[in-house]
Amino acid sequence: MTTAMNNPDQLIAKREELFIRLYKKAFPTVAGYISRRGGSFDEAKDVFQDALVIYYEKTLNADTNETAYLIGIAKYLWLKRYRKNDQNIPLENIDVSADIDDKSPSAKRIMYFLEKAGSKCMELLKGFYYDQLPLTDLASAFGFSGVRSATVQKYKCLEKVRETIKQKALQYEDFME
Amino acid sequence: MKTSWNETRQIDAYLSGSMDTGNALLFEANMILEPALQDKALWQIKAHTAVQQYGRAQLKKEIEAVHQKLFTEPEHISFRQKIRRLFSNL
Repeated sequence: MTTAMNNPDQLIAKREELFIRLYKKAFPTVAGYISRRGGSFDEAKDVFQDALVIYYEKTLNADTNETAYLIGIAKYLWLKRYRKNDQNIPLENIDVSADIDDKSPSAKRIMYFLEKAGSKCMELLKGFYYDQLPLTDLASAFGFSGVRSATVQKYKCLEKVRETIKQKALQYEDFME
Repeated sequence: MKTSWNETRQIDAYLSGSMDTGNALLFEANMILEPALQDKALWQIKAHTAVQQYGRAQLKKEIEAVHQKLFTEPEHISFRQKIRRLFSNL
């Protein structure tokens, strides 16, 4: 069992190492692939970064470190972007629903508000739900006396975010669809 | 009397599927009897979506920082040249 190896700062440092490694291993292949199909450097960067996000989210709990999977996601995103259906890429392992979502202007405003008004809550919730860090490590990183008070704070934050979104959404009608 | 964070926890347990069948059925019955509870559950889903989007936005910033590092720092020059060559022969 690892102790205190999972606080948010250490996670960011670990992720930086991971992303540098994946960039070096996979970006040349993806960039070559996109360049041969007439894409630009900026397009290759864009597709690759989206692929990294999907790869990261998909493999957070799976113990894989497969460059091939990352490259597969990037190729899929490229093809989807330009609808070049003449290529055959095995898609069976790629979850289409994991595509990067673009948000409506009001969703962006709500997000901006949440970041400004409740960044500590958002960081705590992100640590728990998105980064999936253990509550014990989050408790010490956020200065709570223990797991129980971190748990209570987590739910209070979730409630605060929930009520903020509800309240703000009533002001921005296009948020609801 | 439930405290509100406890109710939030219950909603979370229901949404995440970690409630056992009996409690989940009871919770669903409560949502029918108590529309405010159902309303909270719906907004809690949106709260989770917001947290997910927030996490993703932060992750994208980290990735962009890595990109900037690789494309500006001297120690990564050979990597940079390798990539540049791919886009220079048009």
